[in-house]
Amino acid sequence: MSALESSIVLPPGFEPATDGREGEAYYLNMGPQHPSTHGVLRLVVRLDGETVLGVVPHPGYVHRGIEKMGENMSVLQYLHHTDRLDYLSSLGNSLSICLIVERALGLGVPERADYIRVILCELQRIASHMLWWGVFGMDLGAITTFFYGFRDHELITQLFEEVCGARLTLNYFRPGGVAQDVPADFLAKVQVILEQTRRSLDEYDRLLTKNVIIQERTHGIGVLPAATARSYGCSGAVLRASGVDYDVRKHDSYSIYDRFAFDVPLGRNGDCFDRYEVRMREMAQSVRILEQAVAQFPAAGPWRSKELPQYKLPAGSWFRWVEAARGAFGTFIVSDGSLKPVRIKNRSPGFSNLSVLDEIARGAKLADLVTILSSLDIVVPDIDR
Amino acid sequence: MGVILEKLPPLLDPLPGGWRMVNAIDAVVDWTRANSLWPLVYGTSCCAIEMMATGAAHNDWSRFGVEVARASPRQADLIIIAGTLVEKLAPRLATLYQQMPAPRYVIAMGSCAISGGTYYYDSYSVVKGADRIVPVDVYIPGCPPRPEALLHGILKLQEVIRRESIRHPREPRPLITVPFEDVFSATLKTWAEKEKARDAAEREARAQFKQAHPDFKGYAHKRVVKPAQPALAPTPRTSPGLAQQAIAERVRALFPAAQLFARPDAMAAEPVEFTVTPAEYLPFLRALHADAELALDFLVELTAIDWKDRFEVVVHLLSTRLGHKVFVRCALPRDAGTEIASISHLYRSADWHEREVYDLFGIRFAGHPDLRRLFLEDDFPGHPLRKDFSDPTRVVRRPY
Repeated sequence: MSALESSIVLPPGFEPATDGREGEAYYLNMGPQHPSTHGVLRLVVRLDGETVLGVVPHPGYVHRGIEKMGENMSVLQYLHHTDRLDYLSSLGNSLSICLIVERALGLGVPERADYIRVILCELQRIASHMLWWGVFGMDLGAITTFFYGFRDHELITQLFEEVCGARLTLNYFRPGGVAQDVPADFLAKVQVILEQTRRSLDEYDRLLTKNVIIQERTHGIGVLPAATARSYGCSGAVLRASGVDYDVRKHDSYSIYDRFAFDVPLGRNGDCFDRYEVRMREMAQSVRILEQAVAQFPAAGPWRSKELPQYKLPAGSWFRWVEAARGAFGTFIVSDGSLKPVRIKNRSPGFSNLSVLDEIARGAKLADLVTILSSLDIVVPDIDR
Repeated sequence: MGVILEKLPPLLDPLPGGWRMVNAIDAVVDWTRANSLWPLVYGTSCCAIEMMATGAAHNDWSRFGVEVARASPRQADLIIIAGTLVEKLAPRLATLYQQMPAPRYVIAMGSCAISGGTYYYDSYSVVKGADRIVPVDVYIPGCPPRPEALLHGILKLQEVIRRESIRHPREPRPLITVPFEDVFSATLKTWAEKEKARDAAEREARAQFKQAHPDFKGYAHKRVVKPAQPALAPTPRTSPGLAQQAIAERVRALFPAAQLFARPDAMAAEPVEFTVTPAEYLPFLRALHADAELALDFLVELTAIDWKDRFEVVVHLLSTRLGHKVFVRCALPRDAGTEIASISHLYRSADWHEREVYDLFGIRFAGHPDLRRLFLEDDFPGHPLRKDFSDPTRVVRRPY
């Protein structure tokens, strides 16, 4: 190591290059205010020319201390805070807590509530993937996709608003069911959305998937091998695009997902295009689940089992996870038998999915880093909690 | 002339000798400024999605001239603070604000940006209102506000801009640094005092009303009757993968020192759990990781619990091939230099999980390649998820 190289102070997280080329590398700060980091994520990139030699993500710019707050309130009071973690799949977040409370206190769920939960969760997965699709196109330079994605996203949020009065942060699931019954024309509206979604998926394919720029910029970029994906704890479409067949809905089934026939789309190479394609095919599978759920939907019945005056968990610890839009979202609650939990921890999918960024972005060009980051589909408050 | 003097005094500039000059430049400048706001692409959380929805085709804020969302603050004149503002981001927001050319405007969108919102109490990192950092022109309540509310806020801002005059240009307002104080509790107190004063003032009127209407009983509130909710038993569910008995036997053969965690009845359906001592922690996890029969190839999470007298490190493992989960607990003494071996070389995802635990609990992981704080700034005092953490300069305790 030369005198010059030994005098260089590296940004935190980087180690000196072993090939003696440290003097040629330079460092670029990206974020926390950057249009392609989807919020306030900060990346420090080590570059040689335009080639990425390493990335160090610095999360924590929306770290709100939500877990500490959870220790000072009852589980039911905490429920609405989880909506603000991954706000694009807020129902999945609250569902994981409801499942824990139901398991710990031995509460059952009426059939109608189970169907409402599945229908809304799948609608939200479609909405979230549509939004991702719009933003993915925008990150690659195509603004049209943004308008198409939001056009369809808006339809679904309007249905959510009719069901529970909120568009994003729904706070609708409760331990033992849902907060209130769905409106009378719920199924008809779901049918309309399904119709529109089928058309839109076709349109998306014609608009973006077969676009030559998209093909060139996603094939072979950000390749994530299956073993690396498992070791880094990736989940959701990121894991399945690498060919690992693990979907919480299928392999650790919850609610009534075992009643529906659906496939788990898998990729082969684990590159950006596979992650793109897996999400597109997941939307089609969600439509399939919705068709079955609408056909089987109980015409009447209770939507919540008997309410308790207090949802006080007995002493013990519980972990339950669900397949949210971005991957496996889990909640771990430790209780000592009092009303407030001792520890409440959210396992967010984006946290682990982002940690793999350095591994898969090495060797790519700087412009590809944006593609890779976008294909991971992160939501920063979900990572930071 | 009289009409102009009466109706349009802002258009008149006084001249010497009692003359006046009609000058419409203000109206033109304000009109152009108000109708060509260029917002900065800045959003931290949920409100940003509603902000994007406002920009998209259905609501379409370009109808009001808020069209060109800019990624650089140097080209923007409006910053919509959409989402929670935390301490780590606050200096960056101030920088962004200062980089914008004057005249610049700020909209605080959503309750987090207004006051900290739902994170007002108990949060150790959320700034309790963006107006503690930058001067705010328009506040839009909601969590998150609907796109229509954001449009309303933008129209309000345009009203503010239309009242400006280039004769008295708006001074670029300096950044604000408000010392921490619990404004909300103080407001509650003031409110209660005002209520009390009002009650006292109305006491006489109430007595008169009662005298005039001796039969008045008040309004009876009708309780909303909920439909009957049945008491249901949960449907039993078998956990996937190897049976718990088989896992326990396999682990006993692999590592006899690991103790099976005795679970209370309420946890009966939970995955099988083992407890180890800190010295056995690394060898045990190494054995689990290497074993082909259990095939535990996936670290779900690694976290810690503060039991006031001890720490507990909790590791959740999963087999993606077979589907079963195995949980591991390890109790640690609770002192300043609490340390445990790192498993980041076995499961790469443990790297960030361990950094998070180090950040929030202060537990050190020996052999970790890069043990830095993950979420909080390096100079943050203390480790917030410890039960004894208290910082009156940051945290307002929930009063109820």
